[in-house]
Amino acid sequence: MSMSDDLKSIEAQVAEGLAAAQSTEALEALRVSVLGKKGSLTQIMRSMGKLAPEERPVMGQLANTVRGNVEAALKARREELGQELMERKMAADACDVTLPGRRLTLGTQHLISQIREEVEDIFCGLGYTVEDGPYVETTWYNFTALNAPEDHPSRSAKDTFYVVDNAPEGKEVHVQGESDVLLRTQTSGVQVHVMERQKPPIYMICPGTVFRPDTADANHLPQFTQVEGLVVDEGITFGDFKGTMDYFLREIFGKDRATRYRPHFFPFTEPSCEVDVSCSVCGGKGCRFCKGTGWLEIMGAGMVDPNVFEYCGIDPEKYTGFAFGMGIERIACLRYDLPDLRMLMTGDMRFLSQF
Amino acid sequence: MRISYEWLKSMVDVPDDPRELVAEFTRTGTEVEAVEKVGANLEHVVTAQVVSKKPHPDSDHMWLCQVSVGDKNVDADGNPVPLQIVCGAQNFNEGDHIVTAMIDAVLPGDFKIKKSKLRGVESCGMNCSARELGLGSDHEGIMILPEDAPVGMDFTDYLGMSDTVIDCEITPNRPDCLSMTGIATEVSAMLDVDTHIELPHVTEESGPSASDLVDVTIDDPELCSRYTARVVRGVKIGPSPEWLARRVAAAGGRSINNVVDVTNYVMYLTGQPLHAFDLGKLTERDGKRHIVVRAAADGEKLVTLDGQERTLTSDMCLITDDGRTPIALAGVMGGLDSEITDQTTDVLLESANFSSGHTSRTSRNLDLMSEASIRYERKVDGTNCANVAEIAAALFAECCGAEVCPGIVDVYPGEKDDEPVRIDFRPYRARSLAGAPITNSFITSRLERLGCSVQKNDVEHYVVTAPTNRPDLTREVDLIEEVVRLWGEGDIEPTIPAAKNHAGGLTPEQRRVRRIGATLRACGLSETSTYCFAAPEDLSALGIPETGRGVPVKIIRPLVAEQSEMRRDMLPGLLRSVAYNLDHGVPNVALYEIGRVFFGHENRSQPDEPSYVCGVMAGRRADDAWNQRFDEYDFYDAKGVVEALLSALRLAKVRFKVADPETYPWLQPGRAAEVMAGGQVLGWVGNVHPRGLRAMGIDVPVVAFELSQAALLRLAADELPYVDVPTFPGVTHDLAIVVDESVTCETLLQRIGSAGGKLLADVRLFDVYRDDERVGKGKKSMAFSLTYRAADRTLTSEEVEKAHERLVNKVCKSTGGEVRS
Repeated sequence: MSMSDDLKSIEAQVAEGLAAAQSTEALEALRVSVLGKKGSLTQIMRSMGKLAPEERPVMGQLANTVRGNVEAALKARREELGQELMERKMAADACDVTLPGRRLTLGTQHLISQIREEVEDIFCGLGYTVEDGPYVETTWYNFTALNAPEDHPSRSAKDTFYVVDNAPEGKEVHVQGESDVLLRTQTSGVQVHVMERQKPPIYMICPGTVFRPDTADANHLPQFTQVEGLVVDEGITFGDFKGTMDYFLREIFGKDRATRYRPHFFPFTEPSCEVDVSCSVCGGKGCRFCKGTGWLEIMGAGMVDPNVFEYCGIDPEKYTGFAFGMGIERIACLRYDLPDLRMLMTGDMRFLSQF
Repeated sequence: MRISYEWLKSMVDVPDDPRELVAEFTRTGTEVEAVEKVGANLEHVVTAQVVSKKPHPDSDHMWLCQVSVGDKNVDADGNPVPLQIVCGAQNFNEGDHIVTAMIDAVLPGDFKIKKSKLRGVESCGMNCSARELGLGSDHEGIMILPEDAPVGMDFTDYLGMSDTVIDCEITPNRPDCLSMTGIATEVSAMLDVDTHIELPHVTEESGPSASDLVDVTIDDPELCSRYTARVVRGVKIGPSPEWLARRVAAAGGRSINNVVDVTNYVMYLTGQPLHAFDLGKLTERDGKRHIVVRAAADGEKLVTLDGQERTLTSDMCLITDDGRTPIALAGVMGGLDSEITDQTTDVLLESANFSSGHTSRTSRNLDLMSEASIRYERKVDGTNCANVAEIAAALFAECCGAEVCPGIVDVYPGEKDDEPVRIDFRPYRARSLAGAPITNSFITSRLERLGCSVQKNDVEHYVVTAPTNRPDLTREVDLIEEVVRLWGEGDIEPTIPAAKNHAGGLTPEQRRVRRIGATLRACGLSETSTYCFAAPEDLSALGIPETGRGVPVKIIRPLVAEQSEMRRDMLPGLLRSVAYNLDHGVPNVALYEIGRVFFGHENRSQPDEPSYVCGVMAGRRADDAWNQRFDEYDFYDAKGVVEALLSALRLAKVRFKVADPETYPWLQPGRAAEVMAGGQVLGWVGNVHPRGLRAMGIDVPVVAFELSQAALLRLAADELPYVDVPTFPGVTHDLAIVVDESVTCETLLQRIGSAGGKLLADVRLFDVYRDDERVGKGKKSMAFSLTYRAADRTLTSEEVEKAHERLVNKVCKSTGGEVRS
C-alpha cells in the first residue's frame, strides 16, 4: 500500500471512530491511537524520511492535511460531547422555580419616619435645613416667644402637659396644673431657637415628636409627630408661601391634587391660613371621607408675625417670612385611611411590616 | 357662634341662598362647622282651632276635643274633617286658636306623635305647649294663638320660623364675631354691602334714678375696668314673646323667662355679657344697694347658678353684695342666691367689662366655661357697656312690662385704656407682604366696611383708627391681614422663593442617623415607635438602677398613671412591644427604635435628652422554610447586629467586654457585654434578665441592645483610608487549638495577631468544638483559618511554614493550649 492510501485509511478510521465515541474517554483513546506517540499517523509522519526526496513534499503536505483534519474532527466531536454532557447535567439539575427563594428578612421603617424622611427630602431639595430642639420645653419657647398671649386657652393644662419645674427660682403660676416647663405641644419652639442663633436667610423645617393631653383613641394620640417649617428672608411674600406649599403638597400627595387656602388665626403668624388638599377619594366632588366638602385639611400656616421676629431679634421691616405646621400622622391617615392611630404605637410586627 | 340667617338678614343684605354666604365665610376665614335648617323638623305641626271641648267620659281632668285643622285633614271626598284629640290642658276654650301636632309629627326631643287611646278614647294628635314646640319653658298650658291666626297652616310657615342657622367656629382673636352685630359688620365687609342695624332705645323712664338705688365700687381696676348698672322695676316674669324665644333658641340658648332671655338675647346681639340680679335680694343700706367688685379671698365659697359650690382663689374676681356676700363670679357665672325667680319684681342689670386674663384663668381653674366667660376671655368692648345696658333696659320695658329707672350707674376706671387705636398703615406694605396687586381703593373701602376710619396722609401713608370692638387690630400687620383675607388668599399667585447665599440639606450627623436605621433594617429589625412616657416603676421592674439617669421628669397632670413621667430608658417600652406581639400570637419579634430618654436635674427646669438606639429580638428571624431553618435568636444574633452597625459606621477599636452584673443587673449574667469603641463605652448588648422579662409578662428569651446615639455619631467615620487590594496570592493554613474554657476568643485572637507578624493577613474563627472525651473536660477546641500573604511578592512555602510554626508555638505557649491533631 502506498503512503497516501495509508493516510486515507487513517482518515476513514478516525471518521468511523468518532462516530462510535460516545464519551470523552473513548475520544481520548481514539486520539492516542492516531496522534499519540505510537499512533498510526505519528508512525507515518516518522517514516517520512524513508521516502524518496521528490515524494517528500507531496506526502508531507498530504500528511499535514490529514493531521489537521483529524485534529479538527476530534476537537469538534469533543465539543459536541461536552455540549451533550452539559445538556444532560442541566436537565438533571432543573428545579421547581415556583418554590420560595431563600429569604433575606429585611426590616421595615416605621410609617411615620418614612413620611418624615420624605418630607425632609422634599424640603432639602428646596434648600432647607432640618432642625430639632428639646421635647421638654419652657413656656417661653412653646408659647410666649410664639406670640401666644399669657392667658391664651391653648396654654391650659387641658391642652398642654406641664411638668414639675425643678428650678429653685420657678415662676409663680396662677393656674393649677400648670408650670413654666412643659412637653412641647408643637415644634415651633425650634424655630425660635434657630432664629435666635442664626441670621436670615433661614430656610428650615423641624420635624419631631410633640405631646398633647388627648387620651389615646382611634383618632388621637397623646404623643404624635409634627413637621413645621420656617422661611425668613428679604421680600418673602404670601405668594412664596403658596408656591412652596403647592409644590410640597403635590410632591407628597400627587401631581393631580388641588390646594385651597382659607384664612385662619394663629398667634404665631399673620396673615394666617389653613391649607386643604382636594380629597383623594372623590377628587373634590364631596364624599364621606371629606365630609362632603371635597377638601381635606392638612396644615396651619401663615406669614410670621412681626412680634415673633422682634422676640428673636430679627428686624421685621427688613425681613418677612412664612411658617407652616402639619401632623405627619394626618398625612399617614390621608394616604392609608388608617382605622386606628394607636396601631402606630404598639410595635405590632404585622402592622409595621406592611410599610 | 350660631348665626340665624333670618336674624342676620334683618341687619345686612345677604344672598337669598345661605350656601353663597357659607362659601364667602370660608373664603374670608370664618370656618363654618355646620349649616342647619331650623323649623324644618316641625312637619305635621299645624295651626288649629278648637271646635268643641267636652269632658272626657272617664277622667276628671281631661277633655275630649274636636279640633279643626282646615284642609290638613280631609275625608274621602276632600272635605275638611276635625280631629278628635284628648287633651289634659285646662287653659283653653272652644273657639281658641291653638297649635296641634298631628300623627307622624316629631317634636323636639324626638317625641313622635302616634294615634293612641287615652282612657279608652281615641286621640289623633296633641295640642302643644310652647315648651313642647321648643319655643320656651312655658308648660302651664297649651299655646294660644291670636284670634286672627289662620287655621290649617304649617306652624313653621305661620311663624315665619323656617330659618337656617350657620354654625361658625370663631377664632380666639375675633370677639366681635361672637355677636350678631359683629357678624353683620363682617358680612358687610366680605360682600361689600351695607348694614342696616336698628337697636332699641329706652323711650320712657320713671321712678327714682338708678344712682339713688344703687352704687358701685370697683376695688381693683385691674380686675374690672368698667361696671355699669341700670335698674328696672315692676317686671312681670313670664314666658318670652315668641320672637325672642326663637332668636335665643337659634343662637343656641335655652329660653328660661323673659328677663333672662333678654339678657342672653342682648349678649348674642352685641357680644356684651349681661347679668340680671334680683334687686330685692340685695342688702339695703342707707336706702341703697351696694355692688362691690373685689378679688375673692382664698377659700371663699360661692354657689353658682348651676347649683355647684365653688371654692375660690385670690386670682378670681367677685361681684359682692356690699363687699361681703359674693353674688356672682365676675365674667363667668352668677350666684344662685341672687338669681331671677318668678317672684322677682325689680332687676339690677350689670353690663361690665372684666379682665380677660383673670376670667380666662378663673374659667380654667374651675373648669367652668360659659357664654360670658368665652366672651370676656377674648375681650369685650368696654366702650359699649352703657349702650348695651340701654338696649337691654328697652327690651325689659318691651318684653317684661318693666318701668325703666332713669339714668345709669357707670364706674369706668379703665376709660383711658379703651380709647380707639390709631395705626400707621402703608398700602404698599400690604401688597409686598401678600405678593398681590391689591388696590388702594379696595383697601380703603374694605377697612371702612369693617368699621375702621381711614385718614390718608398721602397716597401710601394712612392713619387707620380701628373700631373698639376689634382688640385684634393694633398694628399695621393686623390691618394687612384683614385686607389680604378679604382680597382672597386663594387669588394670590403662587411663587417659589430662591434664597441668595443659603444652602440646605442634611448635616453629616443626620445622614449618619439615617445610616443607623438603614443598617438595622438590613439586619432584619423593623423600626417602631413607643411612648416617651413611663411609669415610675418601669426601671425597678427590670432592675435598671437609677444611677446616672438623673431624676424623673414628672408630668403634673398625667392622663394615666403608667404615663406619669418621662422615660429614662428605652428598654421598658420596647419590651412592652415584645409582650404585645407575643400576646397577639406574633412569636417572631425584631424591633428597634431611635429615641430620646429624659434625665432630669435636681435644680434645673429642663432635663438632658440624650438619644439612644435600642433593639429587641425574640423568637427567631423567620419560621422554618423548605430550604431554610432558623434558630431562636440568641446573644450572638444581637451581637451580630451591633457588629454590623458599628462596622457600617466604621467605628474603630471595637471591643465587647463581659458586662459586670453589678453595673448591668437587668441583663442575664454571662450573656451580656458592654460595647466599647476607642476605649469609650457605647452601650450594652445581651439577654434581658429572665426576672425582668417575667415582670413584663414575657416568657421567652429576649436579646437586646442599647447604644448611645451621641457616642455612635462621635466615633463614627464617614470614610476610612483605602487599602490596596492584594495582588499576590495568599496561603491558608488551619489551626485548631485546644485551650481552657477560661481562654476567651478575644485573648486567642490577640495572641494570634501578635504572633503572626507581618505576614499574617487574615484570621477567621470557623469552629468551636467541645467534647469531654476527645477534647477534654473544661476545654474547647477553637479552629482558625489563617491566611499568610506579603504585599510585594508571592510567599515561598518555606517562608509560610516558618511563620506558621512560629505562630503556633507562641500561641500555644502563651495560652497554655495544644494543637489538636
